[in-house]
Amino acid sequence: MKEKFEPNIIGFLCNWCSYAGADLAGTSRIQYPPNLKVIRVMCSGRVNPIFVINALQQGADGVLIGGCHPGDCHYERGNYLARRRMAVLKNMLEYAGIDPRRVRMTWVSAAEGNKFAEVVTEVTEDIKKLGPMQHFRRENKW
Amino acid sequence: MVDENLLQDAVKKTVARKDVKYVVGYDKGTTGFQAAPTFAFEEKDADKFIFSPICVNNLAVYPILEDKPPLRRGEEPDSRKIGIVLKGCDSRAIVQIIQEKGLKREDVVIIGIPCTGVVDPKKLKNRFPGQIKSLEIKDENDNFIVTVDGKTQNISKDELMPDKCKECEYPTPIIYDILIGKEIKGLKKPNYKEIEELEKKSLDEKWKIWEKEFDRCIRCYACRNACPMCYCKECMVDILDPQWVRRSVNLSENTAWNMLRAFHLAGRCIGCGECERACPMDIPLMKLNKKITKDIQEMYDYKAGIDAEAKPLLAMFKPDDPEEFIL
Repeated sequence: MKEKFEPNIIGFLCNWCSYAGADLAGTSRIQYPPNLKVIRVMCSGRVNPIFVINALQQGADGVLIGGCHPGDCHYERGNYLARRRMAVLKNMLEYAGIDPRRVRMTWVSAAEGNKFAEVVTEVTEDIKKLGPMQHFRRENKW
Repeated sequence: MVDENLLQDAVKKTVARKDVKYVVGYDKGTTGFQAAPTFAFEEKDADKFIFSPICVNNLAVYPILEDKPPLRRGEEPDSRKIGIVLKGCDSRAIVQIIQEKGLKREDVVIIGIPCTGVVDPKKLKNRFPGQIKSLEIKDENDNFIVTVDGKTQNISKDELMPDKCKECEYPTPIIYDILIGKEIKGLKKPNYKEIEELEKKSLDEKWKIWEKEFDRCIRCYACRNACPMCYCKECMVDILDPQWVRRSVNLSENTAWNMLRAFHLAGRCIGCGECERACPMDIPLMKLNKKITKDIQEMYDYKAGIDAEAKPLLAMFKPDDPEEFIL
């Protein structure tokens, strides 16, 4: 029997809001797909575009970046800077032929466990439809 | 047409200054086919300086590539200035570097040249295939007067100019200390037609196009070395721990390199086209750079290399930046 495609999604969640939001979703026992592999970063402004491209190279089918709502950043401006960076990166990826739905960004606060679950469900379903990322995956040939 | 005597005089005057180390400019090169960068350390060196449509290189790379060896005890750092001969487009690179605090304005003496367009070496080679023994190009209104091995031809500028000259907004340098000749007003506007056409294609088509281009890349990093904005002490592809981009030449690593190179120039690329000119595999890198230039113009109303006082694009924000893509 052919196995059903289960996407690999890397989530870069900011320590102060999105990560706490994911925590709340867990403690509130809200169900959401287990495809998201979370990497905690101190701020969404920490997410370097290299991380995103590297994740896509190494087998991620999608990347989700979570930050605080605008104005709520623990470091005052980190999420604003991340927003600019990701806007440019997403446009460039789309221009090169990579579906923009593979790289998503979201604002989730520490009190929004429900929203976190919704976002993860939406992203996972989108990527399930898109299928595996095969554009420029790294082949480990030695 | 730039008066070379005026240029040489300006170089002489600049080199003679006590606070100037040397001047970088263009030399005729060995065949006259492609100008070579040259240095003037003394006044007599100024005689070899030329300016003609074959002077395509962007000399703005020189002041930042300068080696600064460690000082001996008690030694004073050499704080003398460097003179550069700059065209309009090249001067934007210097403005951008000053904006990023890579250089100070007083570190350089700029000899500005109001430029009426240069020749694309690749187009010239296609036009005159085979070995060329001698070549001379003169600039006259809408034509280049090309003399190849003794035969003279009039060729319209559109045929030989690189794309950047066809849409040049700043023919006169934005900042300069000495200007050779008169200022020229920039009347042309950037043309994003090619970019928009590519944007409209489907994702699969776009990837097929770029896959072919990136697959050809041999990762010689000529694009990086020719770029006036790529002046990091250690480039992210040279870092071994963590090794973000592997050294092997394959589609995956090539794509990562080319995308990250373009991203690192977001809001900094001044569109001089040096990367594309230097590329031995003819990858249309400017198509990628121009797409980002177009995007930031639309999204943030920002243009690189115009204002040395402005803040770098990705180091500032406005609360109402576009965010339709955010869930």
